[in-house]
Amino acid sequence: MKPVFQKLKEKLGSAILEVSEGTAKEWRVFAAKDSILRIAECLIEVFGMRFLFLSGSDTRKENKSFTLHYVFSYVHQDQFWIVQTRVEEKDPQFPSLAPFLPQVNWHEREVQDLLGLVAVGHPDPRRLVFHEDWPQGFFPLRKDFGPHQKIPRTAALYAFERVEGEGIFEIPVGPVHAGIIEPGHFRFSVAGEGILKLEIRHFYTHKGTEKSGEGKTPEHLLCLAERISGDNSLAHAVACTQALESLGQIEVPSRAQFLRVVFLEMERLHNHMSDIAGIALDVAFSFGASQLMRVKETLLSLNEELAGTRLLRSVVTLGGVRPDISEVKKEWLIQEIKKIKDDFDKTIQLLWQVDSLMDRVKTTGTIMKEVAEVLGGVGPVARASGIDRDLRRDHPYAAYKDLFFRVPVFIEGDVESRMKVKVQEVYESFKLIHDALQAMPQGSLCGAVKLLAPSQSALGYVESPRGECFHWIVTDKSGMISRWKIQSPSFSNWPLIEYAVLENIVPDFPLINKSMNLSYSGNDR
Amino acid sequence: MLAILLSVIQLLFLAILAPALSWFIKKMKAASQNRVGPSLIQVYSDLLKLFRKNMVISETASWIFHAMPFVLFVSTFAAASMLPVLGIRSLFGFTGDVILFVYLLALGRFFLALAALDTGTTFGGMGSSREMTLSSLAEPALLLAFFSLGFCAHTLSLEGIVSYFASGSPTQMLFFTSLAFGALLIVTIAESGRIPVDNPATHLELTMVHEAMILEYSGRYLALIEWSHQIKQLVFLTLLSDLFFPWGIAGSWDPLAFGLSLVLYLAKVFFLAFVIGWIEIHSAKLRLFRVPDLLAVAFVLAILSLLGQLMIGRGV
Repeated sequence: MKPVFQKLKEKLGSAILEVSEGTAKEWRVFAAKDSILRIAECLIEVFGMRFLFLSGSDTRKENKSFTLHYVFSYVHQDQFWIVQTRVEEKDPQFPSLAPFLPQVNWHEREVQDLLGLVAVGHPDPRRLVFHEDWPQGFFPLRKDFGPHQKIPRTAALYAFERVEGEGIFEIPVGPVHAGIIEPGHFRFSVAGEGILKLEIRHFYTHKGTEKSGEGKTPEHLLCLAERISGDNSLAHAVACTQALESLGQIEVPSRAQFLRVVFLEMERLHNHMSDIAGIALDVAFSFGASQLMRVKETLLSLNEELAGTRLLRSVVTLGGVRPDISEVKKEWLIQEIKKIKDDFDKTIQLLWQVDSLMDRVKTTGTIMKEVAEVLGGVGPVARASGIDRDLRRDHPYAAYKDLFFRVPVFIEGDVESRMKVKVQEVYESFKLIHDALQAMPQGSLCGAVKLLAPSQSALGYVESPRGECFHWIVTDKSGMISRWKIQSPSFSNWPLIEYAVLENIVPDFPLINKSMNLSYSGNDR
Repeated sequence: MLAILLSVIQLLFLAILAPALSWFIKKMKAASQNRVGPSLIQVYSDLLKLFRKNMVISETASWIFHAMPFVLFVSTFAAASMLPVLGIRSLFGFTGDVILFVYLLALGRFFLALAALDTGTTFGGMGSSREMTLSSLAEPALLLAFFSLGFCAHTLSLEGIVSYFASGSPTQMLFFTSLAFGALLIVTIAESGRIPVDNPATHLELTMVHEAMILEYSGRYLALIEWSHQIKQLVFLTLLSDLFFPWGIAGSWDPLAFGLSLVLYLAKVFFLAFVIGWIEIHSAKLRLFRVPDLLAVAFVLAILSLLGQLMIGRGV
C-alpha cells in the first residue's frame, strides 16, 4: 500500500533509509539505529500498528554488523512492517524502546543476553535468559559461538527487587515445584496473605533451540519446532512451516489448508479442555475437572485415530499435511465432535451452577485492559481483558479466510473471563472443525517442495491455543537457515502475571497462574 | 478390670478403623471422578510403607521437629480416650473433660504449628499462620457447642453428655441441639482439613493449610502424623455420632449389646463420612478469606444453641 510508506516518508524523511516490499505481506523499513524510537513511535501512534517482537541476529559475515528486526503488525491492511537496523560491532549499543514501549522489556533483555548488544536506557537491564552462573562474554547467538563449546560457570547473585517495611515477608517459590510442572521461580513479597509484589524468574529450561535450528534442513527445523512446547506442538509446527513455505515459495494445496485448520482446532480443543479442567482442579472441584479431563482424553484418542499421534506431532509437513481425512472418516469425525460437544455442554452447564466455584473465579486475578495492552498480552488472556485480537481473523492464514467464526471477548479480565473466553472458543472450534470439514475441497495433500530462497527472511504465524505464535526465519547466501526466531505466546504473557496477582492473596496464585496457563518451555526455548 | 480392658480395646479399634474412613471418602471421590479408587488395603499399606521408610530430616531441625509427631499422636490418642466409642464408658472420662478434650487437640496443633516453623521453610510458616487463624475461630465454636450440650445435660463430662442423650427420647434434643450439630459438623470439616476448608489432595503448596505444615516430614514421622490426622478425623466423627445419634450405644459390657453397638457405630460413622464426602464432591474449596465466614457460621450456630436453651429453657 503506497499511502502508508509515502506518509511514513513524509513524516520521517531522512530517518528512513529505504522501504521495500519483502515476501507477500511483509514490508521493510531500513533505518539507522538512532531513529528507531521515532519510527516506532510513528508506526504505533500514527498508523496504529502493534509491536510484535524483536529479533536480533549476527550478520557480521555479510555486513560487519548485527541486525535488529522490529516486527509490527498492521491489522488494517493485513500487513507486517519490519523495521530493520544495523548495530556495528565496534559500538554494540542500540537505543532502548522500553521507556516508550514497555512490552519490549524482555525482548531487549533477551537480545542483550544472547547477542551481547547493549540496550541503552533500558530501565531494568538485569539478566533475563541467562542466570548469574553464565559467564560474561559468551553470547550464543553470535556465529562464533560453537554449539558444543564448554561454558565455565561463575558465581553471582541475582538482585531481586525488594519490598521493605514492617511485616513484609518474601516467599520464594520454585524453581522446583510439588506438582509435575516445569521449573520457574516466583518471588512474592507479602503482607500477611496479600500479595504486594511478584517477581518471576524463568528461563531455567533455556535449551538454545533457536541456535540449534541454524544450519538445519527445513525438515529438521520442523521437527525441532514441534518440540518447543509440548501441548502446542502443532501450532509451532504450522508457524514454522508457513515461514519455510513462504521462503521456498511452496504452494500449499487448498485441501491441506483446510486440514490444517481442522487439526489446529483439534489442538485448541484439547488444550482448552485441560485448561478449564485445571481451573476446576485448582479450586478443588475435582468432579468437574475429571469430567473435562475425560473429554480431553476422548479428543486425544480422536487425534490418534485421525493422525496416528495424540499430540498431533508430524501432522504438518513442508508444503502440506501428512494424514488425510477420507469421506468416511469425515462423517465419523463430525458425529464424534457432536457427541463431544453435548458432553462438554453438560459439564459446562454444571460448572456454572457451582456457586463455590464461581465465587473463587470471580474478581480473582484481574488484568486491566490497559495493562494487557501496554505489556503486549496475547491470546485468550488478552481477549479476557477486552482486547479484541486474534491472528486467525486479523492476519488470516491456512484456510481461516474462507471460514466464519466469532472471536469471543470479555472485559472483566479476571479468572472467570479467561474461563469464559476459553469455553466460547471451544464452541467456535467445534464449529470451525465442522465447517472446515464440510468446505474441504478435493485435491492433493502436499505441494512440491522447493529449495529455500537465499538471503531472504519470512514470517510464519499461528494463533496457538495460548495466543499468537511467530516464527521468523532468515536464510543466508546459500539458502541455509541462518537465524530462527521463535516468538511464543508465553513469552508475551508471562510478564502480565506480575500484575494479575496484585491485590490478590497468596492461596489464589495457583488459580490465577492456571487460568493463564503459560508454558515454561515455550517461553524459555 | 474387664471394663478397662474393653475400653483399651475400643480405643485401639478406633485407631485401626481411622484409615478406613479416609479410604471411604477417597473411594467416594474416585467414584465421582470416573475412577476406581484405592482398595481398602491401600490406605493401611501406605501407612505401613511410610513406617518402614527412612527419613530425610533438615539439618536445621531442633528437638521440636522430632518431638512433634509423638506429641501429636499422643495428644490425639489421649483425646480419643475420653470418648465413648462402643460402650458408654470411656477410658478416662471425668467431669470437665470436654475442656481437656478441646485443649489436648489444641496441644497437638500447637506443636504442629511450631514444628512447621522450626525448619524455617517458606511453606511451613504459611501453613502455621493459616492453621492458627482458622483454629482460633474453630476452637470457640467447638467449646460453645460443648457448653450448649453440657448445659442441656447438666454436666461437662463427655460420658455424661452422651449418656444423657442416649437415655433420653430422640425428640427432646431436637431444635437447639441440632444447631450445635451444625456447628460441630463445620468444625469437623475444618479440623480434619477437608474441602471446602482445606484440600487434602492438592499439590499446590501455596494453597495448603494442613499439608503445608507437614511438607518437611517423611518416613516414620510422616506416618505418625498421617495416622494421627486420620484418628482425629474419626474422633470428630465419633463425637458427632455419640452426641447426636447416641442410640444403641452399649450401656453395659454385655456381648450382645456390644455387638449391636458395633454395627450401629460403624453405620453411623460411615454415614457421617458419607456426608463429609458428599460435601467434598459438591463444592469447591473456599477462598481462604471466606473460611472465617464459614467458621463464624459455626460459632453463631453454637451460640444460638446455647442462648436458645438459656432463654427458652432446657430440653426444648
